[in-house]
Amino acid sequence: MNVTICIGSSCHIKGSREVVDRMKELVNENGLSDKVELSGAFCMGHCKDGVCVTVDGKLYSVSPETVDDFFKNNVLAKV
Amino acid sequence: MNDLCAEIGFKSINHAGEELCGDHVEIVESDDGNSAVAVLADGLGSGVQASILSTLTAKIISTMVSSGMSIEQCVNTVASTLPVSPERGVAYSTFTILNLTNSRELELIQYDNPLVIMLRDGKNFDYPTEEMTIGGKKILRTRIILKENDIFIAMSDGCPHAGIGNSYNFGWKRENIIDFMEPLYYGDYTSKNLSTILVDEVYGLYGGEPKDDATALTLKIRKRRQVNLLFGPPADPDDCDRMMSLFFSKEGKHVICGGTTSSIAAKYLGKKIKPSLEFVDKDVPPIAELDGVDLVTEGVITVNKVLQYAQDYITDNELYDKWSVSRDGASLICRLLFEEATDINFFVGRAINPAHQNPDLPINFSIKMQLVDKLTSCLKQMGKKVKVSYF
Repeated sequence: MNVTICIGSSCHIKGSREVVDRMKELVNENGLSDKVELSGAFCMGHCKDGVCVTVDGKLYSVSPETVDDFFKNNVLAKV
Repeated sequence: MNDLCAEIGFKSINHAGEELCGDHVEIVESDDGNSAVAVLADGLGSGVQASILSTLTAKIISTMVSSGMSIEQCVNTVASTLPVSPERGVAYSTFTILNLTNSRELELIQYDNPLVIMLRDGKNFDYPTEEMTIGGKKILRTRIILKENDIFIAMSDGCPHAGIGNSYNFGWKRENIIDFMEPLYYGDYTSKNLSTILVDEVYGLYGGEPKDDATALTLKIRKRRQVNLLFGPPADPDDCDRMMSLFFSKEGKHVICGGTTSSIAAKYLGKKIKPSLEFVDKDVPPIAELDGVDLVTEGVITVNKVLQYAQDYITDNELYDKWSVSRDGASLICRLLFEEATDINFFVGRAINPAHQNPDLPINFSIKMQLVDKLTSCLKQMGKKVKVSYF
């Protein structure tokens, strides 16, 4: 599974660093580092909905507050 | 063609407890940037009085020398202009003049400041001096044909006096300063940073309470090196190819700032862009890799950080420790622009990013244009030749 997190200007301001750091933790805690590939992307063109995250191409809007829920529902549940 | 150029930088510290520095540096560059006059003047005493004496001296000499007037005329003008100190009954400011012609020849004119240190091929170089007397003042003059990587360090006496009665009984002697600076010759330090390293050491030797104003002024001869920076997509999307081909046809390193901008470049080059997820500095977004480009970073936030470092560099130079070693995007740009480049080409795209025109976001089009203007002005103050093209 490929999870791409936008690290462009707008998403950076909205907290992409926190999202990236938390996602890295969650992937490690759940022992998924060989199943989930985390990668970065510059602007995905949906700055208003930042932080933009795609899971196998499908776009989600995540914030540092919602990252745990997002991981549970859209990553952990689908791996 | 002459591909050498001079890089000039200085750093001063004040006598403990003084608001003003009694040393003054004045630099006048010719329009083509190949000739320059740098004057370091040290006014008698400290504080306001010293500051007035040294500022007047440096200003008068730099203006006159750069307009081609003789050293005799300069000295006589200074002597008859300086206000006479009521306490001591004299008007007095020592000075060192570095007069550079076409980045090929340097004339040193020294009056009572510590002798300029010259480093060539990694070692101290004892240059000959010719003595002349003007208006009762003993003045030393030297003409030197320059070589690449020659370094000249002029100082006020606050430098060799460092540590008197404290770390060293007789101060930090010229030989000691030479021993301290020689190893830095091969370090690729900028003139500004060489001056800063020296003056920081002086500050430490004074135990943090300088007993005199201290200044180091460094001139370094180096090869011209060009760096090109692309920032923002063009206003007209049809201009993308033209902008990219102009950018990539330039000699030297290539830096791209901005997500959308780097995507356009990736498309032009037919390569894939690989952003990293490594946050080296929490305030600066990660960099990316793109074949054929030396550095790819995020846009406004990174460039804003570069501007902060640039503003510090031309004033107190206190953040040098950070950007000279860190691997974040802003620090990498700083090292390329401040240290490596002598000539910088900015390719600035004026497209308005619709996603950024959101009142919730602290970034917008005018901020981007201001960043370019301010950064350009800082880089020019560092002595860089900067060319900005808008698309």
